[in-house]
Amino acid sequence: MRVHLGGHLAWHDPQKRSWIAIDQVAPISLIDLAHQLGLPLAEIAVVAVNRCTVALDDTFVSDADRVEFFPPLGGGGE
Amino acid sequence: MHHGFTGKILRVDLTARRLWTEEVAETLYRLYPGGKALAAYLLLRDLPAGVDPLGPGNVLILANGLLTGAPFSTATRFTAAARSPLTGGFGESEAGGFWGPELKMAGFEAIAVTGRAEKPAYLWVKDGQAEIRDATRLWKRDPEDVQAVIREELGDRLVRVLQIGLGGENLVRFAGLTNELRHFNGRTGMGAVMGSKQLKAIAVRGSSKYLEQAYEPKAIVEFGRRLVRLVKEHPASWDLQDRGTPGLIAGLNAAGILPTRNFHTGEFEGVDGLRWETYEKELLSGRRSCFACAVRCKREVKVDDRYQVTDSYGGPEYETIAGFGSNCGIADLQAVAKANELCGRYTLDTISTSATVAFAMECFEHGLISPEDTGGLELRFGNAEVMVKMVDMIARREQIGDLLADGTRRAAEVIGGDAAYFAMHVKGQELPMHDPRGKVGVGLGYAINEAGADHLTAFHDSMVANPESLSYRSALPLGVKKALPARELSRDKAELYGLLENWCSFEKVIGLCYFGPAPRSFIPVEEVVGVVAAASGWDVTVDELLRIGERATNLARVFDVREGFSRKDDTLPERLFQPLETGPLAGVGISRDDFEAAMTALYEFKGWDPVTAAPTRARLEALGVGWAAEMIEAA
Repeated sequence: MRVHLGGHLAWHDPQKRSWIAIDQVAPISLIDLAHQLGLPLAEIAVVAVNRCTVALDDTFVSDADRVEFFPPLGGGGE
Repeated sequence: MHHGFTGKILRVDLTARRLWTEEVAETLYRLYPGGKALAAYLLLRDLPAGVDPLGPGNVLILANGLLTGAPFSTATRFTAAARSPLTGGFGESEAGGFWGPELKMAGFEAIAVTGRAEKPAYLWVKDGQAEIRDATRLWKRDPEDVQAVIREELGDRLVRVLQIGLGGENLVRFAGLTNELRHFNGRTGMGAVMGSKQLKAIAVRGSSKYLEQAYEPKAIVEFGRRLVRLVKEHPASWDLQDRGTPGLIAGLNAAGILPTRNFHTGEFEGVDGLRWETYEKELLSGRRSCFACAVRCKREVKVDDRYQVTDSYGGPEYETIAGFGSNCGIADLQAVAKANELCGRYTLDTISTSATVAFAMECFEHGLISPEDTGGLELRFGNAEVMVKMVDMIARREQIGDLLADGTRRAAEVIGGDAAYFAMHVKGQELPMHDPRGKVGVGLGYAINEAGADHLTAFHDSMVANPESLSYRSALPLGVKKALPARELSRDKAELYGLLENWCSFEKVIGLCYFGPAPRSFIPVEEVVGVVAAASGWDVTVDELLRIGERATNLARVFDVREGFSRKDDTLPERLFQPLETGPLAGVGISRDDFEAAMTALYEFKGWDPVTAAPTRARLEALGVGWAAEMIEAA
C-alpha cells in the first residue's frame, strides 16, 4: 500500500515522509490506518483512495490501494 | 515620545517635483497603525471621489505597519493602495520581501505619491532624505537590469528597489509592483497606477534599527527567539518551509475544489503534472526568505528543458500553478513556471493574468473570440504554448492582448454575448484559485471585499470546521465560539467570517504576513498582542486589535461607497451559483437565497445598512471614525 501524507500531516511522521510504503496484509479501516501512522484525526479533512474521495469513517483499504490523507489547510482549503 | 513607528510620511508631488515630510501624531497612529488602515485614512482625506485611477490626481500610498521591519519572522509586509484602475474602488495589495523593512530603517512609515513625472523618474530615499532622479534609460527595461543599474548608480548593492515592469508601463490594469524581483504587490493594479505617473522605481536605504525605536527591545528579541523555535515545532510552518503553497494542489483536487477550465469544474485529470512531487523534480532549485523570517516559504526554480526559466523572479506559488495550470487546462508545470517568470518580469498579477487567459480560452472555445482576433493562435484550454504567448501579448498590449489587458469585466463588455458569464470576477477583480462552492465563507469574502475577489480577507472555512483541529483551537482567543462545516452557509457562518475578517485585516494593518499568526499558522494570538505592546508601549487587548482591523475595513468600504458601489456589487459570478458537474462535489452549487441571507447577516454583524451595504454612522462613531459618515451621507 502507498500512503500519502499531504500538507502538514507529514510532520507527524517521525521521518517526515510525504509518501510511505506499507506492507499490510489484512484489510484495515482508514481510521485504524491513521492511528497506526500517528495522524491526529482532527487534522484529516479529506481522504482519497485510488484517486476517489471517500469518507474517513467507513472505508477499508488493503495492499494494492493508494491512500492519500489531506489536512484542512491542504485539502479542505488553503 | 512614540515607539515602534517613525512618525513620518514622505509626500511626493511628481508634477511639481516637490517632496516634503508629514508628521503623524501618536493618537492618530494608534487609530491607523499603518498598512491598510493608514492608507485608507490618507486616501479618504487626500483623494477626492471620482479621480481617474490612471490620471495624475490619483494618490499611490505605500505604507508599512507598526511591526514592519521588526527583527522576527513574518514582520515584513507593507501595503500599496490607490483608487484601483481594475475595479474603480479601493485598490490594495500587500507584499513581503525587504523593501518595507528598509523604508522603516530609512525613517519613513509611508510614502504618498501624486502627480505625474514629465519624463520617466525614480525616487531615491535614504535616511530621512529623498530626491527624484531621471529614469529615462530604465524605461522598458526588465526589473533585473533596472535593479542592477540603480544599485550601481547609487554605489550600494544593498539598496532595496520597488519597481514596475513592462505591464505597469503599458498600464495593464492588473499590473503590480515587485521588490527584490521576487516579492509582489500583485493585486488591484497598483503597478498601472505607478506606471501612469511615469514612476519606474522607488529605491530605499536606511541605517536605523527597529529595536532603537521599540518600547521594549529586549522583549522583541526574546519574542524573535521563541519564533525561531516555533517555526520548527509547528506543523503549519514546517509545511510552509518544506513545500509551501505549491503543496496545496493535490489536496484541493481531492476535495473537488481545484479550479479547472475557468471554474467549470473542480477536479483536474492532469493534476499529477502539477503536484508538489513534480515541482520538486522538474523545477525546484532552492528556497528563499523575506526579511528576518525563519519560515523560508519562498521557492526558487530553474528550468532548461521544454522551457527555459531563469531563477531571477522566484518560483510559482499555489495560485499561479492552479491559475496557469488546471484553470487553463494545462498539466505542464514547466509552462506554468515560464508564465510565472514572464509575470515577474512584466510585473503582472499572476491571478488576474491567468484568470484572464482562462476567460479568453473559454470565449475562444465558444466562438466569441476568433483566430483573426488572436493572430491565428489556437487559444484553447490545454494549449500551453499559446498560454505562455498570451502573457507576452497582454504585457505588450498586442492584438487580443490589448483588450485582455483591461481585465475580464471590460473585455467581456466589448466581446458581448455569453462572455459576461465566463468573466470570473467580483467588482472587476478576477477570482483567486479557490472555489467557494466547497468553502462558502471564502465566497462571502470574495463578495464583500472592497477590493474585489481576494482569498486573504479571512481564514478559509476548513481551518475552523473541526473543533479539535489545531487551527480551530488556536482561533479561540479571537472569540470564535463554534466550529462550522466548510459548506454551511448560515448566519453563524457570516458572523464567523466577520470575526475572522477583522483579525485578517488587522494583520494587513500591522505588517504581519498571513502565514504568521494563528489560526493559519504558528504565532499564538496572545503572543501577537504581547509583541504589539512591546513595540508600541500601548496597553492593547485582542479586542483593540480586532477593532483596528474592523476600522480599516470600514474606511475601505466608505471609499467604495463614495465611488458609487452598493450592495448589488457584493455578489459572486453567476457560474458559482450553478452546480459543479463532475468530481467529488458534483451537483454542489451555492444557493442564491442562502447567499443573500448570509450577506444580510454579515452586514448586520458589521453594523452596516443591509440595503445600501454602507456602514452606519453609529458603527463608524463606535470605531472612532465618525468623520467618515459625512462622506457616505454626501455620496
